[in-house]
Amino acid sequence: NSPAPLPERAIYGFALFLGSWFGFILYLIWAYIPETWLFSLGLTYWPQKYWAVALPVYLLVAVGIGYILLFGINMMSTAPLNSTHTITDNYAKKQQQKKFQEEAIPALQDIPISEVNRMFFLPEK
Amino acid sequence: MAEERRFRSASGAPIALRRRQHSASCRELAVRGPRLQLRSLSAATSAVWLAAYGLFALSENSVVLSAAIFISLIGLIIYLHFIKIDQESLLVIGSLGIQVTSSYASGKESTTFIEMGRVKDVVINEAIHMQKVIYYLCILLQDPEDPQGVSEVVPLFQSSKPRLDCLIEVYKSCQEILEQRKTAPQSS
Repeated sequence: NSPAPLPERAIYGFALFLGSWFGFILYLIWAYIPETWLFSLGLTYWPQKYWAVALPVYLLVAVGIGYILLFGINMMSTAPLNSTHTITDNYAKKQQQKKFQEEAIPALQDIPISEVNRMFFLPEK
Repeated sequence: MAEERRFRSASGAPIALRRRQHSASCRELAVRGPRLQLRSLSAATSAVWLAAYGLFALSENSVVLSAAIFISLIGLIIYLHFIKIDQESLLVIGSLGIQVTSSYASGKESTTFIEMGRVKDVVINEAIHMQKVIYYLCILLQDPEDPQGVSEVVPLFQSSKPRLDCLIEVYKSCQEILEQRKTAPQSS
């Protein structure tokens, strides 16, 4: 799974490069060549030229709204101040209490908020 | 015995904490926010009336002016009665419970009482609130089935939002009373 260059990746890259150039030239032809010229070539069933302007505008407005939408989704999924999710979660509730061993590094576990508060805010006796 | 100290809220407004010890196991802590300022009241009223006068100049309809007066009066009454909290107080009675009172600017008081059997602890928690991380004091309620679990979190001082130095004072006062119920367990 390394990002090193491989022959297959070079081929995919070149195919994408050619494909995107082809798509761009096709879009320019659709947008700029007058309809009558296209009809005389026999290409009568292409979408209205209105969409050659409308689709990029839709896309850019969607990107702009996406910024605001992401901001709003973040605000909505933040836990409110009165929820227990600010204090604990499923993993902390289900954790096993490990025994304290002398001269060993204590096991990593979630410390209850009451104990943390006592350690931080009450003066050491 | 009462003492009052000045602190700042999370947004920088000046608040005052008043501590009163009624007895060995009963304490009252009240946080008083700034009262409604004349300059903000005049600014809001002038803004509404200027906007109404601008609309009147455009539309030549005098109903706009009366509506603006009506709206500013009703808005002021609603703000004073439902939104502007002057003082939030916490009354901790050792063996009985905790009472939380909010006094509004219009004189309305809203009270909640939590009995001591339901209270697990009073802690300072930190959480994300409106693009900021704030410290706030909250009461942890006991879960009836699980002695270690927390069933509900009741945040305190929501409208005055004191900063950590004020919260530490309130926390120490509450913990002194809550510790007494461990050393003298009563049947409940």
